[in-house]
Amino acid sequence: MLETGLILRALARNKIGALLIALQIALTMTIMVNAIFMIQDRQQQMQRKSGLDEKNSFYLTNTVFGQDYNIQAHLQTDLHTIRNTPGVVDAIQINAIPLSSSGWSMALQHEPGEDKDAVGTAIYMVDDHAINSMGLTLVAGANFQPEDVELRKEGQSTWPAKTIITQAFAENLYPDNWQSAVGKTVYISQTQPIQIIGIVAALQAPWNGWNGVERSMLVPFQRESKGSYYFIRTEAGRRDELMPIIEKTLAESDKKRIIRRVTTIEDTRERSYRQHNATNKILTTVVITLTLITGFGIVGLAIFSINRRTKQIGTRRALGATKGQIMRYFMMENFIISTFGIIIGCFGAVALNMWLVNTFNLSPISFQLVAFGVITLFIVGQLAVLYPARKAAMIAPATATRTI
Amino acid sequence: MLIMKNINKIFQTADIQTHALRDFCLQVNEGDFVSVTGPSGSGKTTFLNIAGLLETFSNGEFLLDGEDVGKLNDNGRSRMRNEKIGFIFQGFNLIPDLNLYDNVDVPLRYRGFNAKERKFRIEQNLERVGLASRMKHLPSQLSGGQQQRVAIARALATDPRFLLADEPTGNLDSEMAQSVMSLLEDINQQGTTIIMVTHDAQLAQRAKRTIQVKDGKVSELENISRQHNQAIA
Repeated sequence: MLETGLILRALARNKIGALLIALQIALTMTIMVNAIFMIQDRQQQMQRKSGLDEKNSFYLTNTVFGQDYNIQAHLQTDLHTIRNTPGVVDAIQINAIPLSSSGWSMALQHEPGEDKDAVGTAIYMVDDHAINSMGLTLVAGANFQPEDVELRKEGQSTWPAKTIITQAFAENLYPDNWQSAVGKTVYISQTQPIQIIGIVAALQAPWNGWNGVERSMLVPFQRESKGSYYFIRTEAGRRDELMPIIEKTLAESDKKRIIRRVTTIEDTRERSYRQHNATNKILTTVVITLTLITGFGIVGLAIFSINRRTKQIGTRRALGATKGQIMRYFMMENFIISTFGIIIGCFGAVALNMWLVNTFNLSPISFQLVAFGVITLFIVGQLAVLYPARKAAMIAPATATRTI
Repeated sequence: MLIMKNINKIFQTADIQTHALRDFCLQVNEGDFVSVTGPSGSGKTTFLNIAGLLETFSNGEFLLDGEDVGKLNDNGRSRMRNEKIGFIFQGFNLIPDLNLYDNVDVPLRYRGFNAKERKFRIEQNLERVGLASRMKHLPSQLSGGQQQRVAIARALATDPRFLLADEPTGNLDSEMAQSVMSLLEDINQQGTTIIMVTHDAQLAQRAKRTIQVKDGKVSELENISRQHNQAIA
């Protein structure tokens, strides 16, 4: 028979130790649930698709140092060379790399004018090979035509007439019907009209921490710049083999520039989320450590209280308690303390989450996560008390008649 | 009825064997009040522990109410302690965190009585020892004599066949000791068999039977009833 009432009344007269453990459980619950929540949030961020064919893509930088260098002519030669290398699917010149944390941004607005609402976006300057080179999926409208592509001079402030945007960006601009974005004219640089001719499923911006990371636009520009990126997509499984080949070909074809930073998109992603990964590892360690400390705290308190009550336990055995009943007593006592701590912990977890939501603009915690915290801490509590409870059950009934 | 035949209890340490009880034989009949005396280390507490099923014995035969105790497992012994034996300890052994009501409740919960039955038994037995009005008090708020009365109420609450008392007056002054002793006599007269270990020769004489344990054996058996003693006096 459960002794809940007796345990509660005995606990009420010995509050401090139990209260401290309950608070420790509450604190663990608060931190554990929110830490796991933050870990999950980061994991979700890391799992977002960049839109690129990441496995088979890489990029490199092309830095020109030669004088009187015909950038435009060399660019066409380079692209021709790369695109015709066996194993290469396609290649482009681009101004920024998704997830690389450095890039360009602009804003688009429905109405021209200085004080009109505008939506920020990452901007990628590419040619008509972009969709094929990056492995993007066109979900509405059309791709650029070769004649759409303009040469962009250093410092030029005018924009091409056409753009392709991501679906997330279209949803932002036209919440009611994102597909209706195709054919619409919006304004860039506050006053310059630009027509949306196509929508791609996804293409992330260079900044993973930006809340508009899914908003990107492509403009048909080839830059006449001394520093640019070449983005190359290979046939499946041939990326690693082609990286040094293309690097070597380009480097040897022209001695007035340097080919550097030949990097896979997978590496870029890894680097982009390195801090996320590190933070997650730290948070995981904190959660595990905290849970262990709480577990040890429970073991410590239980052993202390059992040592203090050796004679009492012997007396209970003498009065007819079985070993099982003694074990159940301590398991139940822990269950009551845990329940108390977990209830406080639930409030604490939700309160801390509300603060995080308000301060860092995170989404609210899920019921499942709180339930996970509750179940985990009950299990930890019961496991922690198992050894002390067994120890208590082993106390001999004859202890009752010992005069110490 | 309690029957012990050639009970031996040997404590074995790494290199020493101690015979706490040696071919110990005893029969205690229904309604007896037996006092057990003997010098320190004679084996009285070991006898009481074995009689109360708090300890196992090395060999011999022990029948309690016709049941062969040697064949019981740990749970069986717990059950038998709860159903047939009431304990009174020298140090009272009340649970300090529980009030008198809850203290008496402890063995009743192990028995599995329902709340109504438990309440009835707790109140009845606290009434019997004269402490019904203080059932919400903690043990620490009572005198030693009163605490021992609570322990007696706790022991009686399960309606045991045997009441085993280990120096029940050892921690009490003589006035309180007399009053506790009188209570035990009343209980015995109402039919409960009592086995009491004591150092106090005077108190021992108030039992119906006195046995002496020496070197782990019953060295002397006096079958003199108290009434008989009183008649002589």
